[in-house]
Amino acid sequence: MSTSIVDSSLGSGRTNLADRIELRRFVGRELLLWLWFESELFDATLSTKEHGSFGLWVEGRLVLDEGKESTTIKGTAPGMHREAKEALLRGKMPERAGLHLAFGDHDCKLTLRGETLAFAGLVPPKKKTEAEEPVLDAPPPPRRKKKAEEAPVDAAHETFYERMYYARDVEGLVMALYRDFLALRLSPVWDSHVVPALEAWVAGEEVDVDRYRAARDRVVARAGKRS
Amino acid sequence: MPALKGSLTYARFFVEGELPDDFRERFMRSIRLRAMRPLEPDDEELERSGWTKIGEPFVVDLDYEDVFFNEYVVLGFRTDRWVVPAPVLRARVREAEAAYLEKKGRERLSRKEKQEIKQLVSRKLRRSTTPRSTIVDLSWSLGEGIVRFFSHSQKTGASMMELFKKTFGLTLIPESPYTLAARIGLDRAQQAAWENLEMTWLGEDAPVRLHDEAAEEEE
Repeated sequence: MSTSIVDSSLGSGRTNLADRIELRRFVGRELLLWLWFESELFDATLSTKEHGSFGLWVEGRLVLDEGKESTTIKGTAPGMHREAKEALLRGKMPERAGLHLAFGDHDCKLTLRGETLAFAGLVPPKKKTEAEEPVLDAPPPPRRKKKAEEAPVDAAHETFYERMYYARDVEGLVMALYRDFLALRLSPVWDSHVVPALEAWVAGEEVDVDRYRAARDRVVARAGKRS
Repeated sequence: MPALKGSLTYARFFVEGELPDDFRERFMRSIRLRAMRPLEPDDEELERSGWTKIGEPFVVDLDYEDVFFNEYVVLGFRTDRWVVPAPVLRARVREAEAAYLEKKGRERLSRKEKQEIKQLVSRKLRRSTTPRSTIVDLSWSLGEGIVRFFSHSQKTGASMMELFKKTFGLTLIPESPYTLAARIGLDRAQQAAWENLEMTWLGEDAPVRLHDEAAEEEE
């Protein structure tokens, strides 16, 4: 069983768990902002300690809001739209973002919500039919036929496990990204390097990519050694 | 948006508390106890939730194999609710009230009589319709202590958390940036920074700061 969140020392000065959750929901929006920023800065190639380099870019739908005002941008690269950066300049922050991920054997799209970190529209890969699978060797000997009523149940279970493993893989990637984001967000480098870089990026000015990368990699690597 | 087919849309919840040693037998008993009982027109409740077989929302007689998929508990969360359009109900109640007054030869109804007529009319209308069902799949990864609930609806999530607590005696905590940070684990310096975190602002105008009432109360 996982460690207790109720007993976590994180924010324990605030005794009410609901408060601790509500008052830090904005951190999830900042995660989306950071992913969007880094995906543009690093040409859609991000990395984590566990996953190495992989593809990540904003695709499909990007929703930014502030209070009751909301901006929705759709398209293959909604983050590149002038309107998206203008929304940031008006004080809006990403509420949800469509992400395209290409890591390991996976190539998938999903919508990530900032405040709940919930997934939407994650499409698991289709199972390859026998005709699609490459033939490398002679076909295996025919399997023993299962009882008629047994087969559909097994297939349903197998499908379920595959979908859950797939979801867990994607969750693992998002968790690793969040861990790296927190390392940066909770270090002095956020104010000294990340915020100035974000401000330049939003304003359409040039960002010193090498300087940013050096600073972020140092923080992330240091946090990685501790964990 | 089910767990078994289509795209995956879900919210995560973390299970607080330890599993009892005999959890499989105990949970099976509790699940059967709280399996969905369909709403009947004469029932007092207007809404009811219960567990069903995953992917089979009308199968409420649950076996061990329906619920335990290796290290997962899988269930359907079904809510039935009577939905009678308010204008239809109002019109029928007015008709019934008029008929009652005429029969009794009176001009006014007491509050109690009005309530009784409304209840009678509601029940009659319910008999001519069927309750609206909402079905959401749920998978509980016992090893991870994570429930994946295939809906983003806050209301449905809250109902499910309540039934989950009644059934399993365990509390669910919805995933959020806070819970994920707590699960990742922060070192002392990061925790201090987390405590004092302020929103990043990229807007051209100065931000409107909301009062942190919880912090003010502590001071």
